[in-house]
Amino acid sequence: MQGFVLGLSSGAVCAAYCAPVLVPYLLGEGRSVLQNFSALLQFLLGRLLGYLSFAVFAWGIHTSLPQDIVHRNLLIGAAYVILSGLLIFYSFFKAGRACPSAGGQGIDHWLRDSRPSLFLLSMGLATGLNFCPPFLLAVATAAEQASLLQSVLFFLTFFLGTSVFLIPAPFLGLLRGFYALHVIGKMAAGLIGAYYLFIGATMLAGGFFR
Amino acid sequence: MMKEHPPQEKTVEVRQSAGKSFLFALPMMLLTLMMMLGGRIPSDPQQLFVFAVTYLFFNVLFFLMLHTGKTDRYRAIAFITFSLLFVVSFVSHMFEARGSMSLSHEKIILCEVPFCHLVIPMTLIPAAFTKTIIFPGMITGGFASIASMFVIWIGASLSMGRGWCSWGCFFGGLDDAFSRILKKPLLRKINPRWTYLPWAVLLAIVLTAAAFLSPTYCTWLCPFKTVTEFQAVTSFKILVQTIIFVSLFIALVIVLPLLTKRRIQCSLFCPFGPMQALTNRINVFDVRIDPDICTNCKRCVKACPTLSITEESVRAGRTLMSCMKCGTCVDVCPSGAAAFHVRGTPVEENRNMKRLLFLYVAFLFLATFSAGMIQDGLSRIIRLITTGSMI
Repeated sequence: MQGFVLGLSSGAVCAAYCAPVLVPYLLGEGRSVLQNFSALLQFLLGRLLGYLSFAVFAWGIHTSLPQDIVHRNLLIGAAYVILSGLLIFYSFFKAGRACPSAGGQGIDHWLRDSRPSLFLLSMGLATGLNFCPPFLLAVATAAEQASLLQSVLFFLTFFLGTSVFLIPAPFLGLLRGFYALHVIGKMAAGLIGAYYLFIGATMLAGGFFR
Repeated sequence: MMKEHPPQEKTVEVRQSAGKSFLFALPMMLLTLMMMLGGRIPSDPQQLFVFAVTYLFFNVLFFLMLHTGKTDRYRAIAFITFSLLFVVSFVSHMFEARGSMSLSHEKIILCEVPFCHLVIPMTLIPAAFTKTIIFPGMITGGFASIASMFVIWIGASLSMGRGWCSWGCFFGGLDDAFSRILKKPLLRKINPRWTYLPWAVLLAIVLTAAAFLSPTYCTWLCPFKTVTEFQAVTSFKILVQTIIFVSLFIALVIVLPLLTKRRIQCSLFCPFGPMQALTNRINVFDVRIDPDICTNCKRCVKACPTLSITEESVRAGRTLMSCMKCGTCVDVCPSGAAAFHVRGTPVEENRNMKRLLFLYVAFLFLATFSAGMIQDGLSRIIRLITTGSMI
């Protein structure tokens, strides 16, 4: 219950962190509300996997990783680089792509079109590994749990609490009639991807360049 | 279906006689005098001279607009002068206050960063949800406070819609200037899909600003930091940010406008533009193309510096939502089919009166808003000539 309430109380911040990944994707795809719900579920499943893997990790080390700046930066940096890769890939290599000057279409059919769940799962997983402020709170609390099961349950309920705030996202499907929004979504994904790439790269550099 | 035939004499005459133009310009002379003086006549001779020059500058331009019937030709002179002297005034002010154009961490922490309208889209969501303005500026008081910029923006949006981008924005005149240097464009074809890019930039910066509670556009992208202020380069991250915004300035404000004769930064990148385009929907003024007079010569499509007129929009008798109401299409239209219009009124009636109404609103805004900065810029140039220093 504590995890669920924590998730509910801080879910808006989680939604703000997930929105830069999820909103451009949903707009770019231009699918119906129902299809968007399915996409959201796949994304959330990826996020849940990220959370649960952290639950195990947090319980295993019985300490709060966020306090370890070097490792924290490595993990968040890697998550951002993965996210940026996915977003840029989505923006540039989808058939009918956003960037008018981009050339070439290659492995996109395999990763994006034939395996959309893999794409969304990966995005969800990378987002789940991000240290947004509510997640830091959850990690700190989970590290104090007595058993692995308790830690996992805490993250599971925390995940449910935060997910409530993402329920409105699929309703972007109501705008699918506007072709311009599909292009705008894909372009925005590329821009956000570029932004994440630099954030991730500087974090991975571990303060060397700062 | 419109017939295509050679340009003919203007069907609708917008030129006025000198006497009539003077009469119509008279209220503007009084209004600008009142607004520019602010209830006080400058006592310093140099200030008085600068005031007189600025006052004459604006009123001669307005008179010429009425007399010749050309809008964009004289608007551009005022608008570009405003931007150039804004840069002179702002940079001098920064040197006076801080000794350089760079921002130190201390100034950021003290919330002494001047606020500009480009930040507005990023501040709305965080302000609504967290009651926080995510910009290190002053709410009231000081130089370019947040509250004053919001008030000016709301006033401009209500009165002109996206006309702000051609009549009020102190940055817009820079790429407008570069887009006018060459007689013919060297790059003609621009994929219309690029017109979606500002919307994507807007979406990206609004989402990332809400996530990180930081004005992403200002930090990473704003090209105009090159000619105003920027963070002192104290880290690798800031160095990269500096390289990005200087490159964007060179590409979007200088090179591409020069090559395409279009306002590339304003129409294909600036995230404030799309938000302002939405205010076009609620604004009373727009630009219409009368299908009964239009000869389908497509001059307006070729000339529009903001890609806001397409062949489809001409057929529909209107400009796109992104129209900045600069008046280029109105000036180049050989038949007078393109005209300023007041919503809810018949397109073909009282065209001169509608143009006059729009010009009064837009020009008065431009003159009032820019006069202080133009005067300060002129004063600093005179100071540079007479003393060798602008500060």
